[in-house]
Amino acid sequence: MTSIASPLLPQTVVSEQSTTSSLQVYGLTKRFHGTTTPVFKNVCFNIYKGQSVALIGANGAGKSTLLRCCVRLIEPDEGNIVLSGEALSSKKGRELKKARNRVGFVFQKHCLVPRLSALTNVLHGNLAHRSGPRNWSQCWARQVDRDRALHYLDQVGLADLWNKRCDQLSGGQSQRVAIARALMQEPSILFADEPTASLDPNSGQVIMELFAKLSKAQNLTLFFVSHHVEHALYYADRIIGLRNSELQLDCASGTENTASLRGFYA
Amino acid sequence: MPEIRLSDQCKPSLTPRFQRPSWLSTASFALFLGFFLWSLAGAGMSISDLIGGLPNMGTIAGEMFPPATDRAGPIMEAILVTFQMALVGTVIGVILSIPMALLAARNTSPHPLVRHLTRSIISFLRTVPDLAWALFFVVSVGLGPFAGTLTIIVDTIGFCGRFFAEAMEEVDPGPSEALDSIGTSPLDRIAVVQIPGALPNMINTSLFSLEKAVRSSVVLGLVGAGGIGAELAISMEMFRYDQAAYIILMIFILVYAVEHLSSRLRERLMHQSQ
Repeated sequence: MTSIASPLLPQTVVSEQSTTSSLQVYGLTKRFHGTTTPVFKNVCFNIYKGQSVALIGANGAGKSTLLRCCVRLIEPDEGNIVLSGEALSSKKGRELKKARNRVGFVFQKHCLVPRLSALTNVLHGNLAHRSGPRNWSQCWARQVDRDRALHYLDQVGLADLWNKRCDQLSGGQSQRVAIARALMQEPSILFADEPTASLDPNSGQVIMELFAKLSKAQNLTLFFVSHHVEHALYYADRIIGLRNSELQLDCASGTENTASLRGFYA
Repeated sequence: MPEIRLSDQCKPSLTPRFQRPSWLSTASFALFLGFFLWSLAGAGMSISDLIGGLPNMGTIAGEMFPPATDRAGPIMEAILVTFQMALVGTVIGVILSIPMALLAARNTSPHPLVRHLTRSIISFLRTVPDLAWALFFVVSVGLGPFAGTLTIIVDTIGFCGRFFAEAMEEVDPGPSEALDSIGTSPLDRIAVVQIPGALPNMINTSLFSLEKAVRSSVVLGLVGAGGIGAELAISMEMFRYDQAAYIILMIFILVYAVEHLSSRLRERLMHQSQ
């Protein structure tokens, strides 16, 4: 296991395919109001373009908070974030929103609009780049956008269910629609916060395989939080781990085995 | 099946079936009872008057049958105007309620001050009775259905504004947060998450509002705000109870038809996707 000595510096576990940074995080610290112990402190890492990185850690270790802090959905107390070469920490309002356009986000709960069709939900990924009624519903979307949305639904194997309401889809199908929505956005980096947590093991594996396949096919950077050590080992190029409010693990996934990573949850 | 025996030591002790109410609960109940008895006198409740009035009720009910259809034409016209007032008032009221609700809902309002101000306006519109609004509009714009329609618009904003805002606050925040995370605009999130999410409740509320408006527009005519109410008042004042019975029957058919159609429509709209 590669332990990281403090003070932390951006790590150098570099993917073979690229040396261009997709996400750089320096000295990130977050404390919640009214607590003395920080959720995490002085976290530093560097994710390269096209890399697939798993973030592991026990319940309450701050994984989801760290993921959200990376795009400032939760404001960190200290630290700097550089997203695709642009410093995120100094951005405000519209500039911050524009920077977030390049980040796709898949959540533990699929977060789809239940009453709308799968195709309309996928189309909503377009709202990151183009605001307005043409992207509110597939009924009045441009033909080119409808075709793209259907293409991404096809990529996740749900083209046949394009007109089905999302509250009539299974958990696995809904998560696939959420992935299609993220792809519709054409992001440069895809964040996934425990995307398989609410799914059965088989559906979870299908979703992770889909993530791995699509991110490799489109040279997407994938940064995902997972409780499954196996998912981290099989689908990530690199694993980073949070423990005791610190980043205590940063290694290539091939260098670790299941037993040693399980110890990380103790 | 083996019998489960518990030793005396580990038997859980049962709590009493009923707990003695606290002195505060007893005092509150006594206070309520006292106030209720006092209110009976204030409300003019009188068994002797009720018994004395029974023959009159019998006479009026007897004179109501059979209902007179001699003025069926003008009455049907007034019924139609009543429904038109209710429909136009509700549709305009519902449309105006949407921006009011967006300003009043915690998760869509641009600022807490705007939210409190809008909520206060909605509360004011709702708490002033519709008959008071009708009197105000009759004086302002004159006798007739326009005053009644304005009354229904105001009443609908007071009713729908509050319930639309609550429906928007109850929408699952997950989809909105998901779209916020990719940098979408607040207007887009309102259009694709808040409104579709609140739509079932909004449709329900709008249809209830239409039913309420139909019932209310019947009464508005009594103060000169148009519709069937004026016909009913005239019939009662002229002791034409048979004609009044026909009007009441028509009102019943109108209200029943609107309620029935609105529940059918509600069911259909609930199952449609976009």
